Order: sequence, then C-alpha cells, then structure tokens
Amino acid sequence: MTPSFLLTIMIFLPLSGCLLLAPVWRRPVLARSVALAVMTTELLLTLWLYASWERLGAVKTALPGYLLVADTDWIPAFGIRYVLGLDGISLLMVMLTAFSFCVALAVSWRAVEEKVGLFLALLLAMETGIMGVFLALDLALFYLFWEVMLIPMFFLIGVWGHGRRIYSAVKFFLFTLVGSLLMLLAIISLHLLHAQQTGVASFGLHELLRTQLSPGVQLWLFAAFFLAFAIKFPLFPLHTWLPDAHTDAPTAGSVILAGLLLKTGSYGLIRFGYPLFPEAAQSLTPLFYTLAVIGIVYASLVAFAQEDMKRLIAYSSIGHMGYVAIGIAAWQPVALSGSILQMANHGVTTGALFAMVGMLDERAHTREIAAFGGLWGKIPVWGFFFLLFSLTSMGVPGLNSFVGEFLILAGTVKQSPLVVALAFIGIVLPLIYMARLVQEVLFQTERRPLELADLNLREITVLSLLALVDVWVGVHPAPLLDLIHLPVQLLTGGAP
Amino acid sequence: MTRVDLMALMPLIILGGGSVLVLLAGGLRPGGYLYETALALTAGALVWSAALPQEAALQGVAVNAFSRTMSVFVCASGLVGLLLAMGYNRRRGIVGEEYPATLLFALAGMWAVCASADLLMLFLGLEAFTFAFYILVAIKRGASRGGEAGLKYLLNGTLSAAVLAMGIALIYAATGTFSLKALPAIPSALPDGPLYQAGVALLIIGLAFKLSLAPAHLWTPDVYQGAPAPVTALLSTASKGVSIVAVLLVMPLAGRWAGTHDLFWGLALMSVICGNLAALLQGSIKRMLAWSSVAQMGYVALGFTAVSSGGGQAALFYAVAYAAAGLASFGAVAALSGTGERDRLEDYRGLGYRHPLAGAALAVSMFSLAGIPPTAGFMGKFAVFSAALRGGDYGLAVVAILTAVVAVYYYLRVVVMLYMQPEGKAGGAEMALTSAEAVALSVTTLVTIWLGLFPGQLLDLLGRLLSIR
Repeated sequence: MTPSFLLTIMIFLPLSGCLLLAPVWRRPVLARSVALAVMTTELLLTLWLYASWERLGAVKTALPGYLLVADTDWIPAFGIRYVLGLDGISLLMVMLTAFSFCVALAVSWRAVEEKVGLFLALLLAMETGIMGVFLALDLALFYLFWEVMLIPMFFLIGVWGHGRRIYSAVKFFLFTLVGSLLMLLAIISLHLLHAQQTGVASFGLHELLRTQLSPGVQLWLFAAFFLAFAIKFPLFPLHTWLPDAHTDAPTAGSVILAGLLLKTGSYGLIRFGYPLFPEAAQSLTPLFYTLAVIGIVYASLVAFAQEDMKRLIAYSSIGHMGYVAIGIAAWQPVALSGSILQMANHGVTTGALFAMVGMLDERAHTREIAAFGGLWGKIPVWGFFFLLFSLTSMGVPGLNSFVGEFLILAGTVKQSPLVVALAFIGIVLPLIYMARLVQEVLFQTERRPLELADLNLREITVLSLLALVDVWVGVHPAPLLDLIHLPVQLLTGGAP
Repeated sequence: MTRVDLMALMPLIILGGGSVLVLLAGGLRPGGYLYETALALTAGALVWSAALPQEAALQGVAVNAFSRTMSVFVCASGLVGLLLAMGYNRRRGIVGEEYPATLLFALAGMWAVCASADLLMLFLGLEAFTFAFYILVAIKRGASRGGEAGLKYLLNGTLSAAVLAMGIALIYAATGTFSLKALPAIPSALPDGPLYQAGVALLIIGLAFKLSLAPAHLWTPDVYQGAPAPVTALLSTASKGVSIVAVLLVMPLAGRWAGTHDLFWGLALMSVICGNLAALLQGSIKRMLAWSSVAQMGYVALGFTAVSSGGGQAALFYAVAYAAAGLASFGAVAALSGTGERDRLEDYRGLGYRHPLAGAALAVSMFSLAGIPPTAGFMGKFAVFSAALRGGDYGLAVVAILTAVVAVYYYLRVVVMLYMQPEGKAGGAEMALTSAEAVALSVTTLVTIWLGLFPGQLLDLLGRLLSIR
C-alpha cells in the first residue's frame, strides 16, 4: 500500500462508517459512539499526516508542491480520472474538516434525539463529500464531490432544522445549484477546448492549466466559476441564502456550514478559479474587491440589527469571509497566506460561536438576545468561553483571527491601499456588534427568569479544544504558515 | 430462413408466441400463474439476447450486436414492469390474461423496432407496441380516467402514425427504397429534393410524438395520470427508450438534411422550457412526472442535435439512466398506491420513514432525474451537455441547464414531502410492499446509483455499438 492510498482512505473512511452504523441503527447511544469513533480515527489520520508532512514533502511526487498524489482511471469514456492531491493548503483544510465534524457531532450529542441513525449517516456522508472537495484535482471529480456534499446538508437542514427549515433547505440547495450548474458547463467547455488544442481528453487540473485561452473565452469561463464560488463564499449580493440556512439549521449543520461549506467556495477559487484563468481573474479584481468591501460593511451593519443570536453570527460570518475574499483578490503571497489561515480560523471560531448558541438554545429554548442577560453570573463557564470566542471574532491580538486579518491587510496594502482603508472600517464594526452582543447577553441584568444549567463535561471538553486551537494559532501561527508556504508561493508564481 | 436465422429471431418468437400462449392459457385456466409465465418468457428472451451472439440479416430485420443489446434493455424494463404490475393489478382487481399477454406483445413490438432494417419494419414495430399501450392504458374497465386517457392516446397516436407513414411514403417516393442501409448511401442528388426533406421532417415529427417532445407532447400528462402506474412506468421508459433507438436508426438518413439539426434544436428548446415550467405547477405526482418526462426527452433531443459529436451515445445513455429512474419513481407510486391511486403530492407526507425502501427509491430517482450526483441522471446530463457543447450549441446548452435548476425545485418538492413533512392522516389501509415490488424497486435504484458511480462500461459499450452499426 502506497502512502497516496491514504487519500482514498481519508475520503471514504467516513462513508464506510455508515456501514458500521447499520447494526446499531436503532440504538442511539451506541450509534453515536460508533460515529464518533470513525470521526476521531479520521482526525487522527489527518493529524498524523500533519505530523509527517515535512517527511512526505521530501519525497518528490508527480506534481510539484504536492505531498501525496493519487491518480487512477475512472471514466475513460469522458476522460475523467480519479486524481487526488494533498498539498499544504488541502492538508490544513482537511484537518479543519475532520476537526469540525468531531465538534459537530459532539455538540449535537443530546440535541438530536430523533432519527439518530439517519442523522449520523448523513454527517458521515457529508464528511466524505467535503474531504473529496478538498482533495480532488480532477475538475469533474471535484464537481461530483461539490454537489454530493449538498444532499446531506439539504436533509440536515430540512429534517432537523428549526423555523422555516424547509424553505431554508430548498433555498440553500437551489442557490448553490444555479452557480454550480453553470460551472459544470464551463468545466466541460474548458475540457473540450483543451482536447481541441492537445488532442488529449482530460479534466485534470494540471493538464487544463496548460490550455491556451483567448481573453474573451477566459472571461466567460471564469465568470461561471466565479459565480459558483461566490455563492458559496458568500459574496454580497449572493449571500441571502446564508442567514436563512445558518439560522434554521440544527447546531451541527450551522457548525459545518460556517466551518466548512463556506470554505469550499474560497478553496475552489484559490485552487481552480485563479490558477486556471489568471488574466480574467486579474481583470475582475476590482469587482471582487468592491463586492468584498460592500459585503464586510453591509453584513456588519445588518448584524448589528439582529435580534436572533444565530442570525447575528451568521451575518458576522459574511463579514469575516469578506476579508478572505480581499486576501484572495490581492493574489499576493502574504495576503493569500492570510486568507488561507483565516479560512481555518473562521471555521474554528464561528463554529465555536454557533456551537455555544446551540448549547444555550438547548437550555433556554430561545435564541433571542432580549431574553438573556446576566449570564456571566449565572452560567460562568459558558460566559467565559463565549467571551473568549467573541473576542476572537473581533480580532483581538493574541487570538487567531488577528493573525489572519493582519496578514491579509498587510499583504493587500501594497496592491490597493484604498481597499485596505475601507476594509479597516470593517475591523471596527465587528467590535461594535460583538460588544453589544456580549454586553447584552453576559452583563446586563437578568431579563427573563430562566433556569439554566452550566456546561457539562462534554461541552467543556469540546469548547476547550476549540479555545486551545484559537489561542495556539493566535500565539504561534508559524507552523501553519510554514505548511502553506510552498503551495502559496507556487500559486502566486513567486520563487518557493 | 435458415436455422441460424431462427435462432437469432428467437427472442421475438418467445415474446410474440408467448403473448399468444398466455392469452390461450388464460382462457383455459383463468387466474393461473400468468404473470409468472410472462416473467419467465421475458427473462428467457433477455437471456437469449444477452447470451447468444447469433446474427441475422433478413428482409427488413437485422439482428446484430446493437439490436441484441437494445433488446436486453427492452426485456429488462419489461421484467421490472411485470414485477410492479403483479401486486398492483391484484389489489386493483385487474385480473385475467389480457394484461400480461398485451405486455408481452408490446415487448415483441419493441424488439422489432430495435432490430428493424428498413422503414416499414420500423413503422410496424413502433405501431405494434403503441397499439399494445392503447389497450394497457385503458385496461381497467370502468375507470373514467383510464378510459379518457386511452381515448386521448388513441386519437393522438393515430394522428402520429399517419404522420409517420406519410413521412416514410415521401422518403420512398423520393428515393425508391425503404432500406435503412441503402438510404444513407444514395448519391447526394436525390436527398436534397423537397420531397425527401419533407419526408424526413414528417418522420421526425412522428417520432417526436412517441418521445412526447414539445409541441407533440399534449397527450402526455393526461395519459400518464389516467393510466395505471405500472403501465405509465413502462410507457415512460421502455417506450421512450425504443423511440430513441428508432431516432438513432433513422439518423444516418435524416442527418443528410441540415434541417434535422434545427428541428431537434427547436424540439429540445421547447421541451425543456415547456416541460420544466409546466411541471412546476402540478399537484399530482403523476402529472408532474409526465411534464418532467417532456423535459427529460428535451435533454435527449439535445443529444440528437449533436449526433456527429457523440450525441447518440449520450442520448442512449440518458435513455438508460432515465429508464432506471422512471421505473423506480412510477414503481414507487404503484407500490405505495393501495386500492386507490396515491396521486396527490400531499399524500406522500412523511412516507419516507414508514416505507423506507419505496421512499428511498422515489427519493433516489428524484435526485437522478434532477441530475444530482452520484446518480445515473447526472452522468446522463454530463454526457448530453458534453455532446451539445462539442457540437457548438452553447446557447441551447445554457438555456437547458438553467431550466434544469427549475426542475430541481419540483423534484426536491417530492423529497421534502417524503422526509421533511409530518405524516398526514393515514390515507387508506397501509400495506407492506410485495416481494416482487421490493425486488423491482431495489434493482432499479441500485442501477441508478451504480451507473452514477461507474458509467464507463456502459458508455464504452454504447459507443462501440454505435460506431460499428
């Protein structure tokens, strides 16, 4: 067994976990433990890869910059191959994925009591889809995983969600599909153009990178890719599915949506959109900047007006992803590293905030800001963690978001000082709405007499792990930056 | 006719003779094992076609690798159709030998289409199975919906038969031959004449009726809704698949006229728009599926616009994918219908949990029809759109894919009903699936997923068949 076979294992281990679930389908406690075991194994696998990435990097693979590459025939009639590749960026995303799924399962341990078997099976299936998105290097294969991950999320929101769950689920599905179907046409067109030029039918990223495209064609194809990724991102004005989906999803769904699904959009842009169509991307940069800055300011203002805590965090998510967008648009090593790091940071931090609101919701059965107050005194442990993650979200130095945002702005300032100046407003605005949230929920006097129990051991463990990552990356981000250094240099065309 | 020819024709003899046999046996022993006999006969024809590589070229009939593979498809759909009908018809009081006998006759007609070597045989085959469906659609005596559907189908069908016959007559008048082999080889002077072109156009319009491509689709919703669900299952899959085969058989001679591309272009455009938009408004699941099948055939027609760039292979693959999903979805409707028809969408609330297998079959087939991976429908759309883009029809491809988003909405509605709505009041007596239904639904669902993950073998096979023909 070659080490590259690990990639296949990593993708399909969760799905095969569904088989393990079958015998314990109707026994929730056992089923949860089985799923947790599978997810933990997956996490350990990714951590092992991280521990040995320097050793793996010393061995040359078929593609420059990649630690592991797998490549087999899949559908020769279409020229589709099963190509997987792991580089520093994918490794970071894969670690985030495995970690977020463990968190998602842990926070829904008690929250989901109905149809537990189905719930766990869908979570595992989704983990397979997302892992696939982060590892696929064949565009058709990527597209397949890209759509496969939608189905479990659709069910997750629609079956276990709250409020207008069906509306939100269908909206989520349709929004993402509009973009991706056009991207499918663009992928096929690119494949055909490449086949015309070289006579080789291939969907492989590294073959297609060599396609010569006229500026007009490039612009159209990039537009289709950009639309698909911008919807996932989500960029203003394509973001309207996000608050609905996040708010109505069960906690596990929100954690995965915020932590991972949004990242697939930015990841797709970094891995496929920009490298495949560099000139078109260059010419659309002003548009990208504009949308990102509008998104940051707009989302922050809207977040300020929210009464539902989950919705507030959902909007803050749009704002944070705006920074990631700026960093990608600058397409410059420092800013891009910042963006990639920020993707991971945002996944951890926002995931944690959603998890915490979910915990509160389980106890109080409401998420209205106006219902709470004085929680600092009432449930101090919850209060401590909530304050910590809120500070992270505000971008306080010493915590991880600061590092990401700093790198993004530092890198972009050379390219476009104006954008940085405008984006700086966006740094101040979260301070305001997060401060308001913290102040009203934690420190006001109690507004409604609610019987709240403080966090239990399971919840404390999960949150401590999340907090540990936050602090560790905030204080010592160098190892992660080293990990993504080489791929970022290769992407931006600098010397490694 | 030699012994070898007889061996090659054996599936037709099994099916045609079997039809008569079942009819007679029903007279002698009413209520005997008629469905089982029909099943055994169809399975025999299937195995024969699949296993024995006998070839024959007779007057009007050519049994070759292409026709044998297509008849495997026909027999397989026939088997599923029979399995679905067994329980459904018993619950509904449709007893007697007519149903299995007519169904075998329809399969014999379909076999004839696949093996036809001239236009006359093609016409005979097409009309033979359509004729059988006139009966099957109205098989339940006294059902007003069924009677209405049968009459509508008959009237429309007769018109289309006339159009088809006229087209064939014009082609014959222009060229002096019926032979599918000889026609494409005729020197170019003749086919450019208006007589030939009119003939081809009429031929395509006649076939468009069978495929229910807009604007020749108006019979579809009423007939699909009025017919018993297992009949609709076959009507929408096997009959469509065979009509696609017929189009591919006449393509070499039709393709000589540039207008053929434009004709299919227009049919595809109208079908995807009209079918998908109308399906949005339906409250009855059978009508919804009927309109959606108009759209699905539009995607097949998209493949026909690009036959020279792999569209034929794509269309055939799409036909197989659609057949699996169509059989599973109408099959699930049939299996979930008790004594009354479960037709309104609201009747499916929460059923996914009470009937896990039928619910999963319906849900998977909805995802397949919507073209979401990892299902066969996605690979079918992928193939069709690749062919269309290779053929250069960018505008049509973009319109078709945007209407596919519309389609996703109404397909998802069924999934939402199945899994995300609280169960409604118990509609009628609940019954478990019969084992025949369970087999039919699991096989079609597994085929849908298998072809979505590993379409390579089937694609290669179809490509090879089309290139040697």
